[in-house]
Amino acid sequence: MLGHAEKVMGTVVSFTVDCGSVPDDSVRRAVARACRLLHRMDDIFSTWQPASPMSRLRRGELNLDDVPPEIPQVLEQCAEARALSNGWFDPWAMPGGVDPTGLVKGWAVEAAMKMVREAGVPAALVNGGGDLVGFRPPSSVPWRIGIRHPWDASALACVVELEDAIATSGSYERGAHLLDPRTGQLTTAAASATVTGPSLALADALATALAVGGDDVLALLAALPGYDGYLIRSDGTEESTERMAFTS
Amino acid sequence: MKRYPVVIGATVAGLAGILSYHTSNLTSPLSSNLAVGPGSGSTTTTTKPGTTSTTGGTTSTTGGSSTSTTSTSAPPAVTTSSATGTGEQYGYGILSVKVTVKASKILDVKVAKLQTADTYSQSLAQQVIPYLSRQVLKAQSSRISGISGATYTSEAYAMSVQSALSQLHFR
Repeated sequence: MLGHAEKVMGTVVSFTVDCGSVPDDSVRRAVARACRLLHRMDDIFSTWQPASPMSRLRRGELNLDDVPPEIPQVLEQCAEARALSNGWFDPWAMPGGVDPTGLVKGWAVEAAMKMVREAGVPAALVNGGGDLVGFRPPSSVPWRIGIRHPWDASALACVVELEDAIATSGSYERGAHLLDPRTGQLTTAAASATVTGPSLALADALATALAVGGDDVLALLAALPGYDGYLIRSDGTEESTERMAFTS
Repeated sequence: MKRYPVVIGATVAGLAGILSYHTSNLTSPLSSNLAVGPGSGSTTTTTKPGTTSTTGGTTSTTGGSSTSTTSTSAPPAVTTSSATGTGEQYGYGILSVKVTVKASKILDVKVAKLQTADTYSQSLAQQVIPYLSRQVLKAQSSRISGISGATYTSEAYAMSVQSALSQLHFR
């Protein structure tokens, strides 16, 4: 088992890799490539860096033909997530211009995972500041992921078995930071919102949508093949879609 | 069936890497008895790994002399050592931890330094940190591979733990 933690995108992305029969050196090189990718994505998408292509696009200094191809790719996925979430995830409703932040971390972490996978390793888990994506051989036991309890820092809300990806959005540590695209106001409707599914990019965006839209989005998730949701409302009540893979 | 790392990457992004070292030898006892496969639906029937019965053990009672020789190698003589991790900047301040290890086991994680911008951040950190410490210690026997919903404090914590461990040549 090989581990690496990289500070990037304003968070830490950690890799846990089962090297199998692949030499450690090859795995390390793959992880290093994945980290370079993450930094490149950070440079492109950062809305904190005024000179990033994303920032320049937001200010109207660049148009979509002039930016790195990853930006239109991500925006396309943002549009998909907006449609799937019935507008509860809406990067175009953010102040200061289109802001794909709610999807791009998951997207980048997923791309990093794929780079590690290309090294031929049997299993790996990539944790991008609490949004995780993993893979493993078909017959192996799933990764088990705890979901942080929104109020009791000494407890987990629950444990789920990870099929592909999991993202959790909440207002517990950073305070209210989610904007309701319909009202333009900060929202604290959900204490914690978790989405699992095949794509971390989409899970990331949908977790944001679930945190803002609550039960409406949970109903959407129930009808979305491959995706599941788990909501802890601000009054402490909980609800999840039927197939959410809770375990003990 | 192979069981995958029982590393608690913890909230603690980063710890996954750090702790994978020990966990690899701790995972094996749990390996055979987790009956849950992918796509097994919502109400999962799990056999609790903690209560694993030794189904894997072969009971060969034939004349063959195939006794499983599980030689418990004597642990090397070791001393306890500590290191203080780098002070990690995070959203609300600076956090640094001191880690104490013996052999390949983390004995203790303490906060060496905590500077926060305001009292709210201070109380928040003080609330979160004991949990993180327990996670680090538990990780050595935990069954969880990571925590979804990580936060700034925990990331800084993880990085400081990692730097302390690397000072101790703990990998």
